[in-house]
Amino acid sequence: MNNRGKLNLSTLLLLAGLFAFLLILPHFLKYHQQDFLIFLTINVLVVVSYRLVTLTGEWSLIHAVMMGVGAYTSALLSKNFDISFWITLPMAGVVAGAMALLLSYPLFRMTQFYFLIGSFAAGEAIRLCWIQFIKPFGGTGGTSAIPSPELMNIDFLEPIPYFYLVLVIVSICVYLLYRIEKSRIGLTLHAVHWKGVLAESVGVNTWNYRALAFVAGSLFVGIAGALKVHYIGTVAPKQFDIGFMVFILIWVIVGGYRTFYGAILGAVVLSVLDEVLRGVDQLRPAIYGATLIFFILYLPGGLESIPHKIKKMYQQKRSRAT
Amino acid sequence: MKITKTNTSRRKFLKQVAAGATTATAASIIPSRAFSANKQLTIGMNIPMTGDLAPWGLPGYYGCEIIAKNINAAGGVTIGGETYDINIASYDHAYETDKAVQGMKKLVLEDDAKMVMMLGGSTVAAVLPWAMRKQVLTTTLLPSDITPDSKHLVATCESHPLYNVTGVEWLARNHPDAKTAVIVTNNDVEYGLQSTATYEAAFEVAGIEVVDTNLHGFDVTDFAPIVSSVLAKNPDIFCMATSFYVTPIMEQLYHQGFEGKVISCTLDYYHEIIAKTSEDFVNGTIFQFPDFDDPALAGVNFPDPAGFSADFLANHPNDWTAVAWEYPVILVNWIENAQAAGSVESVEVTEHMTGTEQNFVFGGGSWWGSQLWGLDNVLIGKWPVVRVDDGKARIQEYGDLAAWLDANNDVLIKHMKAHGLRTV
Amino acid sequence: MDLLIQTVVNGFIQSGFYALAAIGLVLVFGVMRVVNFAHGELVMIGAYTIWYAHAQNGVPYLFTVVLAILIVTAIGLLMERFLFRPMTDDPLGGLICSIGVLFILQVIATYVGGEGPSKQVPPPFEGTLIVFETVRIPYQRVFSIGVSIFALAVLWYFLTRTKLGWAVRAVSMDREAAALQGISTVRISMVAIGVGAAMAGLAGALMAPLTNINPHMGHNVIITAFIVTIVGGVGSLPGAVIASVLYALFHTFVTTYFSGTIATISGLLIMVLVLIVRPTGIMGHRVSE
Repeated sequence: MNNRGKLNLSTLLLLAGLFAFLLILPHFLKYHQQDFLIFLTINVLVVVSYRLVTLTGEWSLIHAVMMGVGAYTSALLSKNFDISFWITLPMAGVVAGAMALLLSYPLFRMTQFYFLIGSFAAGEAIRLCWIQFIKPFGGTGGTSAIPSPELMNIDFLEPIPYFYLVLVIVSICVYLLYRIEKSRIGLTLHAVHWKGVLAESVGVNTWNYRALAFVAGSLFVGIAGALKVHYIGTVAPKQFDIGFMVFILIWVIVGGYRTFYGAILGAVVLSVLDEVLRGVDQLRPAIYGATLIFFILYLPGGLESIPHKIKKMYQQKRSRAT
Repeated sequence: MKITKTNTSRRKFLKQVAAGATTATAASIIPSRAFSANKQLTIGMNIPMTGDLAPWGLPGYYGCEIIAKNINAAGGVTIGGETYDINIASYDHAYETDKAVQGMKKLVLEDDAKMVMMLGGSTVAAVLPWAMRKQVLTTTLLPSDITPDSKHLVATCESHPLYNVTGVEWLARNHPDAKTAVIVTNNDVEYGLQSTATYEAAFEVAGIEVVDTNLHGFDVTDFAPIVSSVLAKNPDIFCMATSFYVTPIMEQLYHQGFEGKVISCTLDYYHEIIAKTSEDFVNGTIFQFPDFDDPALAGVNFPDPAGFSADFLANHPNDWTAVAWEYPVILVNWIENAQAAGSVESVEVTEHMTGTEQNFVFGGGSWWGSQLWGLDNVLIGKWPVVRVDDGKARIQEYGDLAAWLDANNDVLIKHMKAHGLRTV
Repeated sequence: MDLLIQTVVNGFIQSGFYALAAIGLVLVFGVMRVVNFAHGELVMIGAYTIWYAHAQNGVPYLFTVVLAILIVTAIGLLMERFLFRPMTDDPLGGLICSIGVLFILQVIATYVGGEGPSKQVPPPFEGTLIVFETVRIPYQRVFSIGVSIFALAVLWYFLTRTKLGWAVRAVSMDREAAALQGISTVRISMVAIGVGAAMAGLAGALMAPLTNINPHMGHNVIITAFIVTIVGGVGSLPGAVIASVLYALFHTFVTTYFSGTIATISGLLIMVLVLIVRPTGIMGHRVSE
């Protein structure tokens, strides 16, 4: 924590290696796995931005809907007004962030369980509006024929170019989120979570910081939403329902919400598991559910705690040996 | 028209499949594929097999498996001089758009599927850009998915909700005293609103006034208030535009003492409705989906309907929905077209299919859709009008959908527009 | 006028289901601080029991109602023992566990009932009660509302007139203080989830002949239960009952005179409004941290 998120050389090398691996990875995958990789990369941004919101200790159930706000913004602007993807993409973030700011006034009057349910209700109300107002949102069927990004004649309907685009944008966003967390603001967010009253007593306006985390998290997930629908070409209310929200929650918790990479690990491992299980048809949700329970019961620290556990076991073994 | 050869080969093919059904039941313990030297021909199904829309995917997969089993037991199918065994490959997208995109590529590029069958709605919209560019023959059960650019997307079986007009036409002809109607349905775009607009158009053409349209969400658990509300308008006709809540609504109609005519898109498992109400009450209800053992189905373009439904129910007693036979109809139609085209390749089959008159499952078979959605890729033909008589669903007649659409196209478009639905 | 009376009656009947479904959620949250996301699925399993045992296999209805209560109570107790108890200090972990259970119960229902359309149970009580020649109530609903009121009365008696009931309320108000008084919170948790699950099973059993039964029916149940819980006050049982009646009447009236979608949207907005203006609900007290 003391070097405030400045990366040391070995970490940098590791990240560079990971990036290089990701660059060549799609060439070794099957066609549908390339698509899977795109959606997985987008979901990494979803969970990382969600973690920013949860840093203050509040678990919201509106994150998926905020992703939808960004998605609808970018989709409708680019389709109906012919605005370029490169403008609608940041617009998606801005509108989702603004919506979060607006909602933070009623929502942050609540905490804990009340906030959880309040955020769910607010999100569901927004989602019902997409269903109810067929113009301009398109109702349950949503809106399709959303244009692909345009850049130097690159064909973004093909998975590999789009994956590179997603990889670059997600990497930038994740890096920004990392910097936010390791900055003074991020440290204060941690303080608001663990020592809320104390933080207030030294002059920290907890409301401001909670709202800030909520707005910033929503902004980034709005961008993730835009990335998703410009590839699929369709935006519909079902993409952002409570079912998807539950998956975000599960990824973050199973991966481990205490560290940055835990959430990413959760999204990656569980998504791969889900994909592998797709052959077993009806049984899939049950296996998924059982895995979930297993992880929570036997790995309460999440996947990210596995290295610590192994290290500990190793140390115990050594101390016993000597 | 180039329809000369298709008819004879169709008869032969249907006969062959029906014969396969008997062989298959006799030898069902032995997997025929193990003995077959035939080439594999893969047909893809990119459908929901889990989740709340699974009833509109999974039963269709079971149905297609039966058809494939029968065909393979009869020695396979000959297309363009080559004999194939049919292999059904499925991908469960659970009605998620990103999974639908993945499923499409897996089925086409990895499993080498020659056609991909889908349910419709946002999942079809999601695969369209890629599938149309790669010219993959894709099918939907919702004609409203068709756009001016979707050259390779066809709706060859269910023309939801267009066929509903045939029921209204029959009702108006046989009960000229019924003059007012109410419509109750769910408020989704793909099923509810499309169907509502169609019924409104059909009632207008028939000279029946719609005095109330009640649209509700999918969160309704109790239909007492909705039924009370519309019955207060004293309608002669009560119309249900979609299938999801027919049973609880019928039950409320019964208890609240409705005595008029009931018309519905579907009346799935109507014997359960009779058990919940009374046979007297359900008798006379008009809808659009026949029992598969109805004698009036003899001669339709489907191999042994009664045997098919018996086979299905023997293995999956609780899974039958309309899609159980609709996906198989699409499959059978594809095979006929592939045989006539002499090729299994997507582009050739599509070209042949959309370029010729077809043998629609219930008779007739012409291409329609440009007036409403911009492209003639919806196959329409005769559609049965079914009524419950003495506790049994019986086909009353095969309504002429094409004739109605030719005459009243503008009325339909007017009502579609009024609900904010996409029209060209 | 007829429509008005009919609507009031419709609303009151609906409130019985809302109360039964919500009370278990309130009880479990009050005592254990766990949001049981699988609560709607407990109701669903209750309904499936009726469908499988009564409608498919002809076991007498009243007997299957008891069976549904027993099965769902057993599931609830298993959840307490193997999931919620190890998660005592981690309410979020409890919530995630309950989501895991939700998936598993839905798949079990799919296996038992198949993927066809919604299941139906013919009503054991046939016919319609007609009052003053205008108001019509199916006998099945008369039975359901009667049993609901009876069950709630028994619960009220249990909570206010028995020692065990007092202990449940004590833990619900302040877990630590109750533990200091020598109350076994583990035992009380078992009682709470047992009673809550029994109510859910009963709700499912009563709803079964009146609604569409499918593996996903729990979703609507839990949303309604959330709204009722919030409006009534988290952890407040009388609040939940009052909120059930008010919300059912409100929802029924808006559905009858406007539309079902407007009723749901305004229901959600009322919930948000209550959360803003009075987060403790109409009868609630602030939950201690």
